[in-house]
Amino acid sequence: MSFFIPYLLFASLSLTVISGIAALGGRAMIFHKLSQIFLALSGLLGMAASVAVFLSPEIGMRVSIASAKFSPVFGLDLFGAVFFFLVSLVSVLCAVYAVPYLRSYRTTYHLPSLNALVAAFVLGMQIVIVSTGPFPFMIGWEIMSLASFFLVVSDRSAESVRAALLYLVMTHLGAAAILAAFLLLAQGSFFADFSLLTNLAGTAPAWVLPVSFGLFLFGFGSKSGLVPFHVWLPEAHPAAPSHVSALMSGVMLKIAIYGFLRVTLFLLPPIGTTASLVILGFGLLTALYGVLYAALDRDFKRTLAFSSIENIGLIFTMIGISFFAASRGLEVLFEVVFSAAVFFTIAHALFKSGLFLISGVVVRAFHSRSLEKMGGLSKRLPVFSAFFCILALAAASLPPFGPFFGEWMFFQSLLGHFSLHDPFVNAILLLTFAISALVGGLAIFAMVKLFALSMLAESRSPENALEHCERPAWGEMFSIGVFTLSVLLLGPFAPAVMALIRGEAAVPSLWLLSVGSAAIQPSVLLLFLFACVLAVWILRRLMSRVEHERAYHRWDCGAPVNASMEYTATAFSAPIRFFFRLILRTKKSVDVLPVLATNPWIASKSFNMNLRSIWMDFGYLPLGRFFIGLSLQVKKIQSGNIRFYLFLIFAALILTLRIAL
Amino acid sequence: MTTIVALILQLVLVLLLSPLTIGLVRWFKARLQGRLGAPPWIVYTALLTTLKKQHVISENVSWVFRFVPFAVLGMAAFLVLSLPLLFSNGGLPQIDLFILAGVLSLGSVFLVFGGLDAGTAFGGMGASREMTIAALVEPVALITFSAFAVVAGSSSIQDVFGNGMSVFSHPALVLSFAALVLVALAENARYPVDNPATHLELTMVHEAMLLEYSGPYLAMLEYASSIKLTVFLVLLGNLIWVKPSAALAPEAIGLAAAGILSTLIVGSFALALLESSIAKMRFFRLQEYMSVAFFLSLSGFILVFLL
Repeated sequence: MSFFIPYLLFASLSLTVISGIAALGGRAMIFHKLSQIFLALSGLLGMAASVAVFLSPEIGMRVSIASAKFSPVFGLDLFGAVFFFLVSLVSVLCAVYAVPYLRSYRTTYHLPSLNALVAAFVLGMQIVIVSTGPFPFMIGWEIMSLASFFLVVSDRSAESVRAALLYLVMTHLGAAAILAAFLLLAQGSFFADFSLLTNLAGTAPAWVLPVSFGLFLFGFGSKSGLVPFHVWLPEAHPAAPSHVSALMSGVMLKIAIYGFLRVTLFLLPPIGTTASLVILGFGLLTALYGVLYAALDRDFKRTLAFSSIENIGLIFTMIGISFFAASRGLEVLFEVVFSAAVFFTIAHALFKSGLFLISGVVVRAFHSRSLEKMGGLSKRLPVFSAFFCILALAAASLPPFGPFFGEWMFFQSLLGHFSLHDPFVNAILLLTFAISALVGGLAIFAMVKLFALSMLAESRSPENALEHCERPAWGEMFSIGVFTLSVLLLGPFAPAVMALIRGEAAVPSLWLLSVGSAAIQPSVLLLFLFACVLAVWILRRLMSRVEHERAYHRWDCGAPVNASMEYTATAFSAPIRFFFRLILRTKKSVDVLPVLATNPWIASKSFNMNLRSIWMDFGYLPLGRFFIGLSLQVKKIQSGNIRFYLFLIFAALILTLRIAL
Repeated sequence: MTTIVALILQLVLVLLLSPLTIGLVRWFKARLQGRLGAPPWIVYTALLTTLKKQHVISENVSWVFRFVPFAVLGMAAFLVLSLPLLFSNGGLPQIDLFILAGVLSLGSVFLVFGGLDAGTAFGGMGASREMTIAALVEPVALITFSAFAVVAGSSSIQDVFGNGMSVFSHPALVLSFAALVLVALAENARYPVDNPATHLELTMVHEAMLLEYSGPYLAMLEYASSIKLTVFLVLLGNLIWVKPSAALAPEAIGLAAAGILSTLIVGSFALALLESSIAKMRFFRLQEYMSVAFFLSLSGFILVFLL
């Protein structure tokens, strides 16, 4: 058996390639299925490879060409294995989901190219993780970016193309920044691998390190949706097919985090207090803006995308705090918060992928992404809605589900390190604590809105009474069910997972999480909560007659109530919009047009609300106008006069010579 | 074994006393407003009568609607079992303030689901308001509890509320205590956040979500809210003068039970006095209430470090 282990990684990568080739066979469904089967196999092998690394982390895994003089290009260490496992797991479940899901969209999408692109996308992410030098890293990064660009346009609507172009620009600015940072660090030797780069970074000139840190932060931050570089994310993620959205939100953002951690932990020398505060500041800003827009947005998938931005913000906050702790010599705080960040990253990959897979079924049932047209699905699909309920509560970081324990470790370590000696540390920790708590509260609002408005009450679109809505096929239910089960089990098994990712500082035994003086047994908490609900259920059976009930129409004040009178998503989030109007600056207008000149009360009214993004309106659009204005000015030299052009060439030549000599 | 006996004693006592709390608040309120008022124990008969009545279940609801009463009452039972109310180390030793805040939110979330499921505008309005309040109260609760935890030197609920730490022994906690009062008022849907005595659509929050419920389910939800109010009053009392019993001895238990009873009487009188002397806030002015609570809790936290 041990003979095969070194080849697992190679086999996994090859099967991804084969999956892409199989997809290109043709439009017949058999090629579609084959492609998904190969992708799932590749994922399973990838999971096996990661588990092998978990079991023997010291050795790791290398893919090398025997007797070659080259150092191995691909390898997997423990840190990479965590992320490789996530990529593999999510791609297996997305492949299982895609088999029935894409069948219902075979006229919308061009399946062969879509499946091939998904395979390329997964391959790109795999390469990024297993690469041991900047060169393969950037190749994987580009494959991932370009494949996901084409995936965003896959429904070929004008809206998707706009979103994809924005994405393309942002992601390439980011890629350019990362490349520039690598080049700066390498100081000429581009084929150096990461270990050589680490040595070079130690001897680099003083100005190189802060500049390359800034470039890395922008590059990885723009990929992971850090505010204010996030504007592409809520447009691009929802435009892709839902299983691709799951891959993008659940895994691709994690790849950006992986890259950022890889360079800050392994490449750059320990970053100082200032740099960690910069990360922290970006993280808090991202979390706050992400969650506010998640609470407000009226589009199902955009809400999920904003919630991803919020979660990424929290992860960056945790990373910022842990680096801050490291720079202040608080070793325990660094270790616990850092492993809490990795734990929360794992949890986010699970619940967000699950929620995006759910969005596929929901959007297909309502033929719309707007929450204003949804409602009433839990009556038709009870099991599905129960899965959704668990995933939504988990995403809101409520106990007893997995993500809660990530936040628990974070909050507990903040609380345990308020010291009486250092007011500066106290102030930073308190600020982080307060904003993270606020974000946590609003995240509950966003997730409740998402679940309640799509699943409960009655369908808000009168033409679509859900009579003929397509039920989720077994493959879709399987994938969603596995994600649901995993967030449920991530709770009790949180200590085990923490031990696996080497967060031993927080795990005294296999069922106990402990931070400072606080300890918790997640499994006991889960059982205790269930036992309470069960006890109430039994008591109610004993105390009152169960059959004693009657079905009747709802309370309606004597006049029939219909779906158009229900609370809508706009109305539901109105209080949040009002309470935070100073930050959000949403635009609301009611236009009143009198119908009769004689009576002003008889008028036609139209309501208009714009949930605009202030980063777009006050940041990117003015910047764009500035550049367009600048290029209009530059255009003036294009006079059409050939002598003037000759003069320009001559001037350019002189200038070049002046600089070169 | 003793832990189990203690838990059962605490559970029975709080479950028995909680309808009385609601009754007392109503009775004091009536007296303060010049009315005769129904006797405090009428709540018991009212709950039992509701429990025996027939359900009327709306034709438009799903499984969520039926699950909500169990979840909400279950979370209330969780609070009673895990907090140091009668015994200073009652409940699970590992329940800390983050779990407490999480379970409180979980209860609100399920209540919101129940309010929305029937699809009436009333339920939606109540649900939207309740969710806003719950989302904004949670950070305040977390920060306030944390200030207590810093003073107690431990985040365990038993150490914070059960070990006789009071506002008088730690004066730095006075702002945090005030913030906790604001949290308790908002969590329990009392004045100035909500009016528990109304069924007018403009003013109600909590009642609007219960509108579709009848029979045993209504009894369960009302019972859950009375338990929550009782638990909060006892916790606040613990921070002022009452000490939960440390041992399973009859005198100590008797003393602690008397403490709980006196807390409930004084607390419900204070609540009735408050509700008779101020007006309910307009919902969109709650922004000010929440901001005051947030910054009060934050300054309470800072005060803990300064003093």
